Amino acid sequence: MMNVRDFALVAFTILSQMAVGSMIVLGIVHFFAIRKAGMQEADRLSDQILPAIGIVLGAALVVSLTHLGSPLNAPLAILKLSTSWLSREILFTVSFFVVGAIFSFMQWRSLSSFAVRNLVAWIAAILGLMQVFSMSHIYMISTEPAWNSIATPISFFTTAFLLGSLAIGTAMVLNYNINRRKDQKCAEVQCGLLRDSLRWISIAAIVLLGVEVVLAPLYVTSLAAGATTAAESASLMLNQYGLIFAFRLVLVFIGAGILGIFIYRNALSPGREKILGNLTYSAFALVFIAELMGRFLFYATHIRLGLF
Amino acid sequence: MSSQLAFHVDLSSCTGCKACQMACIDKNDLELGQRWRRVYEFTGGDWVKMGNAYINSVFTYFTSVSCQHCEDPICVNVCPSGAMHKREDGIVLVDTQKCLGCRYCEWACPYGSPQYNPTLGKMGKCNFCYDLIDAGGKPACVEACPMRALDFGPLDEMVARYGDLRDPAPLPISSITHPSVIFTPHRNTYPAGSNEGQIANKEEV
Repeated sequence: MMNVRDFALVAFTILSQMAVGSMIVLGIVHFFAIRKAGMQEADRLSDQILPAIGIVLGAALVVSLTHLGSPLNAPLAILKLSTSWLSREILFTVSFFVVGAIFSFMQWRSLSSFAVRNLVAWIAAILGLMQVFSMSHIYMISTEPAWNSIATPISFFTTAFLLGSLAIGTAMVLNYNINRRKDQKCAEVQCGLLRDSLRWISIAAIVLLGVEVVLAPLYVTSLAAGATTAAESASLMLNQYGLIFAFRLVLVFIGAGILGIFIYRNALSPGREKILGNLTYSAFALVFIAELMGRFLFYATHIRLGLF
Repeated sequence: MSSQLAFHVDLSSCTGCKACQMACIDKNDLELGQRWRRVYEFTGGDWVKMGNAYINSVFTYFTSVSCQHCEDPICVNVCPSGAMHKREDGIVLVDTQKCLGCRYCEWACPYGSPQYNPTLGKMGKCNFCYDLIDAGGKPACVEACPMRALDFGPLDEMVARYGDLRDPAPLPISSITHPSVIFTPHRNTYPAGSNEGQIANKEEV
């Protein structure tokens, strides 16, 4: 069931969803950082992280070309916006990238007013959400019972925000370490912002873990109760890929759940930045691997209706 | 659509010789692994108790399947570039100039009709031998059938002549894409989704 090209799609979908989630989480963090510590400190917190999101999304787009038989024809993929969700997804991905890059540039050079930059950021965020929405609709076609359910958009958005939160947490820790080395004075305010953000990020991760842990068994049982092809998908998931299915849930539980609790506790008081950083890195790494495994299963267990 | 072209397959006379499949490979010069027309062998049966005796109810029939040139083709609906399109006479074609080789149509089509050609990096599929038809001829598969089990013509004409069976097992239910292929049933033909038999020649299709 699994082709080599599907691994390119695993990487593309995970990375692009992570980019969308990161953009939105960073926007929320920035919003609260302004209220707490003012514009300058908020910008110091997030400005370095913006281009990193662009790099992740750019990498995702390059990887997506590798699953095409004729990559030179890729620009033609937006010709059927009226009927094809794949066309729409590609349009939204590219426009999210372009508007995000414009916002990043404006933020870097402090171009225009705060209100205008804020508007551009909002547009980028909405384009990103549309991208994840249309990506999930690509798979929701009547001939793919394992994909054609509400579980697809739920799991795509959960992945976006779970990975987005932990990726931003990780980027903030890196950013904090760089800032501290450059300028000791800023460290105290930045450290406060970092701890506040990580507390909320750990709460978000635990909530989203809850969504995944509830969704996985519901999804498999509803597949198993479905028509022949759907039931075959469920059996693939539990038998042939049962180990990966279980291991993935264990990893995301440790990463987002157990480490999430440790991140929360260590972010309560100052002086534990080193361990807080290491916990955040580990949580992100574990959840990233778990999400890759989950997406691998998504492609490995679908069975199309009809003749082969 | 009155101008929809359609195939007719007579399951009651098909012997499963695969001359249509070979003629298709020959006419279109298909590479190894490309099978735009395939013949599925649907087989079933069991021992059935009748009075004091057990008799068998074994059956097999052959279903020649190519692109169904559907009235509502899901491959055309999902294609992002418009490479997969429907001609005025209802033939579903791939414009290889526009094809990306993303293989989305392959995920969508319930008949396994669009097939990826790794050499070209493009999709290929049954084109109804439109070059032969445009010149007043017949598709290679129809011409080759020694049992005269294959026919083609306008859909309404085929329906008037042969009835309206479009989804004998092992084909999927016709309501998904409204295929333009009419079947004459074999005496053991079961409807789509039937568990009475199974495809016996999976390695051949």
